[in-house]
Amino acid sequence: MSLSEVFIILAKAVILMLSVSLVVLVLTYAERKALARIQQRMGPTRVGFKGILQPVADSLKLITKEDILPTWADRGVYWLAPIAVFVPAFLMWVTIPVTRQIVVENLDLGLFYITAVSVLSVLGLLMAGWGSASKWAVMGGLRAAGQLISYEIPFIMAILGVAMLAQSLDLTEIVAQQHSVSFALVQPLGLFIFLTSALAELGRTPFDIHHAESEVIGGPFVEYSGAHWSIFFLAEYMNTFTIAVLTVLLFLGGWSWPTMPFEGFLHATLSLIWLLIKTSAVLWLIFWIRGTYPRLRIDQLMAFGWKLLVPLSFLNIVITAIVLFYGLPLWVLTCLSGILLVGAVCIIRLNSSSSMERDTVRLVSAKDVRSKAKFSPLETSGGAE
Amino acid sequence: MQIHETENETDGSIDLMINMGPQHPSTHGVFRLVIWVDGERIIKSEPHIGYLHRGSEKICESEHYSQIVTLFDRMDYVGNLNSELAFCLATEKIMDVCVPERAEYIRVILCELNRVASHMLFYGVYGLDAGAMTPILYAFREREKIQNLFESVTGARMMHNYIRIGGVKENLPRDFQQRLHEVLEHLKRGIEECDALISKNEMFLARTKGVGAISGADAIDFGVTGPALRASGVVEDIRVTDPYSIYDRFDFNIPVGTYGDCWDRFYVRVEEMRESVKIIEQAARDLPEGDISAAVRRIVRPPKGEVFVRTESPRGDLAVFLVSDGTDTPYRVKVRAPSFANLQALEQMLQGAYLADAVLILGSIDLIMGEVDR
Amino acid sequence: MIGDIIGFIGGLAVTLKSTWREPVTAEYPESDKRLNLEERYMGFPALTWDGDVEEPYCTGCMVCIRECPTQCMTAEMKDNPLYPEESRRRKIVDTFEINLGRCIICGICVDVCSFDAIEMSHEHELSKYERNGNRVDLQSLISMGRSYQQKVGWEPKNPGKNRGTPQVEENSQSAINDAEVTDSRSGEPMEGDECPDL
Repeated sequence: MSLSEVFIILAKAVILMLSVSLVVLVLTYAERKALARIQQRMGPTRVGFKGILQPVADSLKLITKEDILPTWADRGVYWLAPIAVFVPAFLMWVTIPVTRQIVVENLDLGLFYITAVSVLSVLGLLMAGWGSASKWAVMGGLRAAGQLISYEIPFIMAILGVAMLAQSLDLTEIVAQQHSVSFALVQPLGLFIFLTSALAELGRTPFDIHHAESEVIGGPFVEYSGAHWSIFFLAEYMNTFTIAVLTVLLFLGGWSWPTMPFEGFLHATLSLIWLLIKTSAVLWLIFWIRGTYPRLRIDQLMAFGWKLLVPLSFLNIVITAIVLFYGLPLWVLTCLSGILLVGAVCIIRLNSSSSMERDTVRLVSAKDVRSKAKFSPLETSGGAE
Repeated sequence: MQIHETENETDGSIDLMINMGPQHPSTHGVFRLVIWVDGERIIKSEPHIGYLHRGSEKICESEHYSQIVTLFDRMDYVGNLNSELAFCLATEKIMDVCVPERAEYIRVILCELNRVASHMLFYGVYGLDAGAMTPILYAFREREKIQNLFESVTGARMMHNYIRIGGVKENLPRDFQQRLHEVLEHLKRGIEECDALISKNEMFLARTKGVGAISGADAIDFGVTGPALRASGVVEDIRVTDPYSIYDRFDFNIPVGTYGDCWDRFYVRVEEMRESVKIIEQAARDLPEGDISAAVRRIVRPPKGEVFVRTESPRGDLAVFLVSDGTDTPYRVKVRAPSFANLQALEQMLQGAYLADAVLILGSIDLIMGEVDR
Repeated sequence: MIGDIIGFIGGLAVTLKSTWREPVTAEYPESDKRLNLEERYMGFPALTWDGDVEEPYCTGCMVCIRECPTQCMTAEMKDNPLYPEESRRRKIVDTFEINLGRCIICGICVDVCSFDAIEMSHEHELSKYERNGNRVDLQSLISMGRSYQQKVGWEPKNPGKNRGTPQVEENSQSAINDAEVTDSRSGEPMEGDECPDL
């Protein structure tokens, strides 16, 4: 390897690092503003025009804060954990293309590489939980391990469905395959499984169980502060962005534009913008869900994952295989997938309505109660005993 | 890493003892709950209270009657007006004072508004406990309207000192009826919106249904009162069954649950907000003109004797036992705080729950630590 | 409609709807973006200023000090040098201190004052860096009171009795000197609080 090659690799890494950090800064601002609008607040308004420099101020604050080390912490594990979470999040970007040309290193096994690397972050969360010497952190770490490993299966299965359709693990190739029709239309079920399990992988609402504020107070991150905490934060937002981009690339057609008239630089720029627009739509969906939903309990999360998502993801692969094997037209797959998706929603709905009726609260008129001369509360009650 | 464990006698596995609180974000104040967990399951729990003890009852013994109202403001600091009312009713009863009609109506309007505000806060915080971050902001949006109205009437947003022995402090401002009407219209929409946001959500239902259930008989045995008792299917609302003030004049419904689980406790409160709005509308319609306070001296010296008054505060049966020795300070003031009594059932509700449920169960009792510790 | 059938979609609709509404929050420190204070708003207590005779209304009668539930005030009284030529007040407040860190803003001092001398001002931003940094003396109390008087166009509730100008002396001199400290609400003579010598 010549010196110039090393230099190019280094330059690419630095550019990637900088651009991803910039994306994270923008993302934190966007999330705060989006949530604020959902909740009829203003969000940050102070630093810079409309608070646009708030993320910078935040990161400066975090860097200058004291880094606290708990007395009984396992030092090596404690300090290594943020890196163990951050590095996989960063490594994923090695092979994610943002346009046909702009990619660090396009691998033929790109999807395989991404799924393989993304699993690693569990280790970092477990290390953080264990190293902190806090019971809450341990609980959070264990929750993270259980959750992330369980949802890895439907996550990978959903990706596999796309890979089968595209007959490739190369992301550029997958996008090119969606030139005429995006896979979201062919595999709505796949998109549903992918997004749901991706939310769980990210630990975002409604699956933010491992760092639930009101339960385990931040889970694995509870003892971290300052720069080390900010690395976790960076990784989390980086992962969010990664998932959004992956959704766009795998299901929403990436940068492909049916009648792109331009070539060269202009083409690359327009493609990038188009991709970013789609990505922001996915990100808005993620923020929107965060602004609306409560979180599930850990056993409900596991039940949802193993009893619903895993079978569905297998079914997804089976129907894809059938359609591909017999060479049926793609709209058959769309129909099958759509039916299964509706079925899944119905199962969720029926499950909730059969086991739990909502109208358990009845209204007793005050007049009736008053008219009873000698009143004993338990006698008039329906289900007291 | 060192973690202090206790050996589980039955299967030799190790239970983890966790201190939930007093600095835990979802303990609603300074409440400490020691729990022993096996994985995520709670084996045993032990509530510790007293972190917010200010000796209010003892201070009452050295303050004038009119000054004690300010102390009652600070016991249940979310349902202030209801607390004030409880003490004023007790003093009026022992002095045999007849409160003017208008003052009674003003009291009812403000107390019911206060109940809505308190339940709104519960709704928001409960959403936060369940992991949804928007309900609290919606709830505060609605609560803010009520607080503004309070400010225009009493001059304060929380510590009003407005209900006085024998009546109320000041007359209502001139545009009160109109502003009240606006607030009520706003509230009705707000309550529906809050209801639609999480009450129909399957995830929320799954989280709260069947969690922390307590039967009506058990609830009565523990002394649980208020919405928590009604959620267990017991029709008991002091406004109706043992009416005080002028509550016997209004037509409203008592929401009653069935299973006494977290969902029932949550939804009874949501329904109660709607009913309170009904009461306020009736009271505002009938609001008479007239005096706002009986002729009571500033330094009151009630005759010797003792009196016991029960009221329905947003959290339950708030009762005041007052002993007077004929001087200008009471001999003894005992407050039967609903939060304190409701808290006693916590251990029972936590039996076999998950750690995540503990937060929801604790939230569903709607504790105000200022009232528990007094 | 569909939200009623599938609850988790209904919730999304609610949040989406409120996304397009105006924010309800205010931006605090700027004076033009704040929420308005209501007219009856009770801030910290302040002493009123009698502009006609250029002296405070307060005579230092100590009734508020005795009635304060938290004992946050102290005061001293002196002979009024302006009496009787320029003012009707025989005694006038000499020193007055309120520890606003202890004040619970209950308004009892305003209720008991027979001279309209103390009012709940609209002042509410008095953070200090020191413990007990909010011990406010007579001068600051009066300046707080004056700004409040200007803001709301304050008039004494009982002008005949409490105005300090000697013009009205003829008809109400006796009323001043034999003034019974009355209950501000019921008009009955107060029990337990004898009138301090005026």
